[in-house]
Amino acid sequence: MSVQQQMREKGPLGMLVALAEDVFTRVTAGIPPGEFRRMLRGEPPGRPNPRLKPHSETFLLHIRPTYYHESVTRWTHTFRLGMLSTYLFFLELITGILLMIWYAPTPERAYQDMIRLLSNVPFGQFLRDLHRLGAEAMVAIVTAHMVRTYLTGSYKPPRQFTWFTGVILLVVTLFLSFSGYLLPWDQLAFWAVTIGTSMAEAVPPQIVGETVNLLARGAPDIGANGLLRFYLLHVLFLPALLILFFFVHYYKVVHFGISLPASEEEVGEDTANRVPADRRVYFLPDVATDELSFLTGFTALLIVVTVFFFQAPLENIANPQQTPLHTVAPWYFYWLQGLLKIADKTIAGVILPGILLVLLAAIPYLDFNPSRRGRDRRVAIVSGIVAGTMMIILSYMGTPQYAVQAAPPVEIVQELMPEEGMGPAREIGYDNLPLGVWRTDEEVEYPNEEFAKLMEEFKAATRKWQEKDPDFNAAVGQLTISQDQPRLKRLDWYITWFDAQGAPGEFSRSFWLHQDSIYWEQYGLKHRFLEYIREFFMSRQEQ
Amino acid sequence: MQGIYIKSPILKILIGILATLITIGAILLVAFTEEIRMEEQAASWEGRSIENGAALYATACASCHGVDGKGASGPALNSYYFFTDTGRIQDVEFPGSLRQYVKLTIAAGRPSKQQSQWPVRMPTWGADYGGPYRDDQIEEIVDYVMNWRESALAQTPYEDPWRCFEDVPTPCDEQGFVGLLKRVGLTPEEYLAGLPAEAQPTPPPARPAELLFTEMGCNGCHALTKANAAGAVGPDLDPLPQVAGERIPGMSPEEYVYESIVNPDAYIVEGFPPGVMPTNYAQRMSEEEIRSLVDWLLQP
Ligand code: HEC
Ligand code: HEC
Ligand code: HEM
Repeated sequence: MSVQQQMREKGPLGMLVALAEDVFTRVTAGIPPGEFRRMLRGEPPGRPNPRLKPHSETFLLHIRPTYYHESVTRWTHTFRLGMLSTYLFFLELITGILLMIWYAPTPERAYQDMIRLLSNVPFGQFLRDLHRLGAEAMVAIVTAHMVRTYLTGSYKPPRQFTWFTGVILLVVTLFLSFSGYLLPWDQLAFWAVTIGTSMAEAVPPQIVGETVNLLARGAPDIGANGLLRFYLLHVLFLPALLILFFFVHYYKVVHFGISLPASEEEVGEDTANRVPADRRVYFLPDVATDELSFLTGFTALLIVVTVFFFQAPLENIANPQQTPLHTVAPWYFYWLQGLLKIADKTIAGVILPGILLVLLAAIPYLDFNPSRRGRDRRVAIVSGIVAGTMMIILSYMGTPQYAVQAAPPVEIVQELMPEEGMGPAREIGYDNLPLGVWRTDEEVEYPNEEFAKLMEEFKAATRKWQEKDPDFNAAVGQLTISQDQPRLKRLDWYITWFDAQGAPGEFSRSFWLHQDSIYWEQYGLKHRFLEYIREFFMSRQEQ
Repeated sequence: MQGIYIKSPILKILIGILATLITIGAILLVAFTEEIRMEEQAASWEGRSIENGAALYATACASCHGVDGKGASGPALNSYYFFTDTGRIQDVEFPGSLRQYVKLTIAAGRPSKQQSQWPVRMPTWGADYGGPYRDDQIEEIVDYVMNWRESALAQTPYEDPWRCFEDVPTPCDEQGFVGLLKRVGLTPEEYLAGLPAEAQPTPPPARPAELLFTEMGCNGCHALTKANAAGAVGPDLDPLPQVAGERIPGMSPEEYVYESIVNPDAYIVEGFPPGVMPTNYAQRMSEEEIRSLVDWLLQP
């Protein structure tokens, strides 16, 4: 119809309405306004279903199924864990790209860039915390997703390969998280990764291990080359790999349909793709609103946790000359650290994890039990629980609490004023540390309550270690606090004791605390919110 | 088992709206506090750098420049003359800032200056020049040294511990600050009298004796059980209450110890070299502090 003809038939207003409807239908990729209104009112679609059009029209929706079986849309069936994994990955992608703006992967700049990000970039700390929290949440949620598919037996035929690609995704996720660990170039990062890559060195035979290690680090020790390589892995190679395998994984998920609850089909059958018309839940609008509301809720949770409760750690700049007292792996590798305490590096660090990984990937090909019902899968479920418990025990053994302990005086000082991070002495703050000489064998009036508590802890730690260690007796601790420079206090910790033979020993360690210093545990609104609000209003008043 | 499934689209949309509002609220909170947070972070990182610099200074520099920076076998850094714009930096005709001068000196050292008035050489510290420290560590030390500015500039002419270099283009003819005043034709007394009342130096509160013993670096040279000191450069001070009265006939223990602190070379203990114990303690402690230190040393 020509424009003139239309004009004649509908009049100018009618034509504008028609034009608007047309635009609306294009934007929604095929849903006219009338149908959209019906969707909002919760009315059923007409026949043929006009709400399927966007699925064939748009790229992003063509990946999604047009309808689901009602039983699998229940939150308690999948817990939306796969979707959350996907969401977190894209969240990481976005925050990560933003972080790249202020980051250069060289040992000279990386750490300075972190400091600049924290102190000079609006929302810099927020971005960093969100990226870090998202990374840790992603590891947890991907693992939980694996546990869910294991427990519902969803890896069984025909979904074996879905599981297999899932295991690859898990490994990539772990490596992504771990490669990101090095980038801030602080002590925490440097030593965790040094230990991690040294495991690669233990791959037998020696020549292979050395080559792998050299490839990862770019030199015998981690330095500029290693940082660049981890950076490229983290921002390019691993994300690309993850995207690739995600689409393979998700293609399989859509292809076979999400497995039904086991009780709804016969053993050995797979009816996920044969959905009776009355059990269909269409993606548009039902599943879409469901997912959107769920994701906005999850986003709110993530943001609130980031703002109020979570601080990404940042220790001192990486120092290859100074091994920290207790090096720790990220929590999702605690189990490996625990394993390393039992057996040597080659067995615990390479062979056992390797076997575990192959077993994990091969589960669908080893489990011949056709039933997905819990009742019929006692062996599988019990062994799953046993494996999970083992992981938790090993992780516990890998925590810093269970770490190899240093000599008592070293541990006492570490407890009160650690090499890295805050500790009770820094926590009470510059203003609460009174100048003078304070001893654990004296009962005196302390100038303030906070400091009295600190001295109480000092005394308690000294007592605790005397009970623990027979070579540590009649110990006396002394803390000398002096004004070293304007706004800078010096804390000298000094401990004397006698060993089992009665020979005396002494230990001293000095730290400094500046009035303006805050340590990473003290970042974030959780600690500073009230302070900020006060300062904010004070600055308003001045104006 | 039915499982959890929210069916009502209205409820879902409400949840979505509520969550969006919470998200926006949290982000707005961050936005409003960002300015203050960034300022605080910037100050914190400077403080952290000074803390780390302090630890490096204590291991690498204190032995020559003094624990308090007021000089020992090397020159004083915590000095009015060193920090003031018309002082050291002008006299050496350095084109850059004092900060750059300090960084350059620390990183490169003064390796070629032997046989100068100082008994030792200033070593090279920067890894770029063959020293042990990375650039970020040098920066931390510089931050620490520069943090003396406030206390150095608060020194009175009498307190400035500066001793002039004998080999600079414009040698200062008098000790630091005093020399500066002389150039403009003032005596320290005239200078102090000319200051307005609120700028008159107030004596700082007296420090306790046991603190002075570490702060003045006595513990680095002397052994003393009650201070947990084990220095071996000078005599063991544990027997001091017994021997102090017998060192110089006719001198009371108090007088002797006082003399040993303010004018160490007046009497040299047998077996120890003269000229090692610093001679500027009278300037660095108040009369009251020296007296309390003497009493404390003489308590058995
Ligand atoms: C072995 C003793 C020694 C040590 C250790 C030492 N210095 Fe020095 N320093 C000197 C001497 C001597 C000079 C004077 C050099 C000269 O003659 O020009 C000097 C000069 C300086 C100067 C320049 C002073 C001026 O006005 O020109 C600075 C700044 C300085 N040192 C800082 C440091 C710092 C910081 C450290 C620790 C990293 C340190 N020094 C360690 C002996 C030392
Ligand atoms: C650089 C090392 C050094 C420092 C720092 C030092 N001393 Fe000495 N001190 C010596 C030496 C060497 C002697 C012995 C030579 C002499 O008598 O002058 C000595 C002698 C003494 C004596 C006489 C001891 C006797 O047995 O007769 C006293 C008292 C003394 N010092 C007190 C102090 C006090 C108090 C301080 C801190 C304010 C201090 N010293 C700082 C090196 C040092
Ligand atoms: C980055 C990591 C991963 C992403 C993004 C991801 C994504 C998804 C998504 C979106 C689904 C749809 C169903 C649901 O939400 O549960 C799914 C299903 C599935 N995933 Fe994953 N997944 C990941 C890792 C894994 C891992 C580690 C495993 C197991 C080792 C795994 C095994 C499966 C299986 C077997 C299904 C089919 C479930 C069924 O049909 O009931 N996935 N995945």
